[in-house]
Amino acid sequence: MIAKTTHIEDTKKLLGMLPTIQADVPEFIYIATNNARCGKADVTIKEGDHVNFGQVIGMRHAPYFDQPIHATVSGTFLGYEKHYHRSGKLVDFMKFQNDFKDTVDPSIKDRTDEEIASLTKEQITEILKNCASVGLGGSSFPTYVKFQTDKKIDTILIDGIECEPYITADHRLMLEMSDEIIKGIKLLEQAFGCHDARLCLKKKYHDLIALYTELFKREKSSGITLAPVGNFYPQGWEVAMIKSATGIIVESGHLPSEYGIINFNVSTVVGIYEAVKHNKPVAERYISVSGDGIVSPSNFRVRVGTPVKSLIAMCGGYKDPEKDKVFILGGPMMGASVPSDDVIVTKTVTSVLVFNAEQPKVEPCIRCGSCVLSCPVHLEPVQIMNAMKVMPVDKERVKALNPLKCIECGLCSYCCTSKIPLLDYVRRAKIIAKLP
Amino acid sequence: MIDVLIALLPVVIFALVKYTWHAAVNLLLSWFTMCAAEFVFVLIKNWGPKDGMKHSLSAKFKYACSGYSINNVLVPLVSATIFALLMPSQATTPSGFIYFVVIIGALFGIVFGKLVYGGTGQNIFNPAVVGFIFVKLCFSSKFNGLWYVDAFNVNNSGALTAGATILTNVTNHGTVFGSSYSYLDMFMGNIPGAMGETCKLAILLGLVYLLIRREIDWKVVVSYLGTFLLLIVMAGLIPLSKHEVGFDYGKFVLTQLLSGGLLFGATYMLTDPVTMPITAPSRILYGMIAGVATVFIRLLGGYSEGVAFSILIANLSAPVLDHYKWSSSRFNWKNVLAMVLIPLVAVGILLWAFADKIPASGLVVMGGAL
Repeated sequence: MIAKTTHIEDTKKLLGMLPTIQADVPEFIYIATNNARCGKADVTIKEGDHVNFGQVIGMRHAPYFDQPIHATVSGTFLGYEKHYHRSGKLVDFMKFQNDFKDTVDPSIKDRTDEEIASLTKEQITEILKNCASVGLGGSSFPTYVKFQTDKKIDTILIDGIECEPYITADHRLMLEMSDEIIKGIKLLEQAFGCHDARLCLKKKYHDLIALYTELFKREKSSGITLAPVGNFYPQGWEVAMIKSATGIIVESGHLPSEYGIINFNVSTVVGIYEAVKHNKPVAERYISVSGDGIVSPSNFRVRVGTPVKSLIAMCGGYKDPEKDKVFILGGPMMGASVPSDDVIVTKTVTSVLVFNAEQPKVEPCIRCGSCVLSCPVHLEPVQIMNAMKVMPVDKERVKALNPLKCIECGLCSYCCTSKIPLLDYVRRAKIIAKLP
Repeated sequence: MIDVLIALLPVVIFALVKYTWHAAVNLLLSWFTMCAAEFVFVLIKNWGPKDGMKHSLSAKFKYACSGYSINNVLVPLVSATIFALLMPSQATTPSGFIYFVVIIGALFGIVFGKLVYGGTGQNIFNPAVVGFIFVKLCFSSKFNGLWYVDAFNVNNSGALTAGATILTNVTNHGTVFGSSYSYLDMFMGNIPGAMGETCKLAILLGLVYLLIRREIDWKVVVSYLGTFLLLIVMAGLIPLSKHEVGFDYGKFVLTQLLSGGLLFGATYMLTDPVTMPITAPSRILYGMIAGVATVFIRLLGGYSEGVAFSILIANLSAPVLDHYKWSSSRFNWKNVLAMVLIPLVAVGILLWAFADKIPASGLVVMGGAL
């Protein structure tokens, strides 16, 4: 089929209706030392130390920012263990024995509404920095860096699109925590001094649209509106979202803030609100566990640091345990595949997908061009693949094809009529193109 | 690939009804030859596990066969069907069309049109066209003119009547730019020609099916037929302005559209994705190049009508259009300029050359199939 692919099979209608289950805090909690963005970490506690919930236990270092590490449980620090991080890498995790008391650290104290109303943008930025607030939609980009923009912001866009199939974490969050979301959006308006915030939702989310139309009616003075956007994939990509919600086209290589726009994921908004209101780091998050390898797909609210194994056990374990499984954290289109279920839930894990492993037979490319038609950034994935197949790789040729523009949405691999994993080639081309 | 076979079905049925077992023999020979060549190719390509160990012959054979997939059958079947439909039917040609021509053509087409490049997806040329042109050039005596079986008038004794193709007929009878066949006959396929190219109705059915299933890119079909129509309409202006006796403008355009392999080529051969460029603007240019080449060969060339050659020429241009330095999946000033320039230049050349070509006594149009 030679066609532009914009829709991917939607598999989450039923899952979105299931209420969220509050997952029990397990006996052992694991906190990553370093993550995808931060390569180094200093841990300030020793083995055997007792930590409180929300206590700062170390500092992660990235090239241009530092990020404190918080304990998400009260208990004893037992030592280090290797587990898989959501990026697919084997990373040192700190292991904590849960004392099931959840003793709260003295640093966590609520702010009154008056205090919050008097906060300036700089103060909020400082709070977010200390609470290690990051983009919870999966990017894990530090929120405070976004707040440091000196551009005039006219419009705040809240991303509730969740365009990947299988994931319903944001959907449930929006249904169940609407109060926090609206308060968080107001806080953002206060920080950026603008009066135009838009909640972007897919047109087909009728329940959410009904709910928020009603809620926003009660907040007429706040300037928050609903922006129903298209049902296509990748609508959740910020450039596509900004175009659908405001009509502005953000050119590649430019930041949305240069156009007066700033965008946050809904779960980030809740994280920002909790950080400002309770001075609390992100300790819990919504997760969908789904896929055809799971007995009963469910939505969970879990403590950060919970091993995925225990979530899968809560879902009733594996369907067809004799078959090999594939584990994907994040969406099936963009998420990373991890080699085993020995993964730990971090702040930015939105979903755990378990599929029965199926190795599709890769047929030769027939140059149908579907990947070229479908690519949202107008690349030519098949040309990149052919350039990468030449040995030794012609660097100039790879660079001329511009693979760095790729947003890794995965549509090329999805729509390929020969089932070629094109995104893998493009990812490798990106590495080549980054070489001097 | 199954979709292309389904789309070929109306044409195959038409050929079977009209030419009965002659068509069946052509199809079977072509299918067998191409599938066998592909099977041998797979065997050679995958021969034995290359792990440095010793294996028995049967183990090597089994290993090689494991690389044989459904696409190793379907893709040659499509090429073979198209190739067989390009052949005239047996026993109706003056010298008695011989079976080995079909076999040689099919073999040459798949080996030198596809397998030497590395099999499916690697070929530059359409294998069916390569095979067809090879036999057409090498065995041209077997192709001379009279290919026609009037199946609709045939009685049980199997009396076959033969006739010339439209454009040859035009020349022989001295009628300029037209034919004695009615448009309905030309549309329904009741005219001489290769087995598959005559019935426009069957081809249109296949075209609609392919477009609905999005198995082919509509841009190529539209730009090819559009360029062809534009050039033919412009060319018709010359005899019109010279007040040629007996020249019927509408008949000239319609005859050009309905005769020969134009529609068959546009539907099944030009749109083969393997030999097309991959980006949308390049595909439009590709259709334009093929359209220009068809008109030039038909009206200016010394060879009978040029769909097959124009497809080869367009195939040649595909790697150039796809070169990474200028290929772009978006429309930019470069490819839009090319889209404007190609028809303009082509019309210019056509008006200049075609005006010279018309003798006082009337236009000589070469006839033939595809």
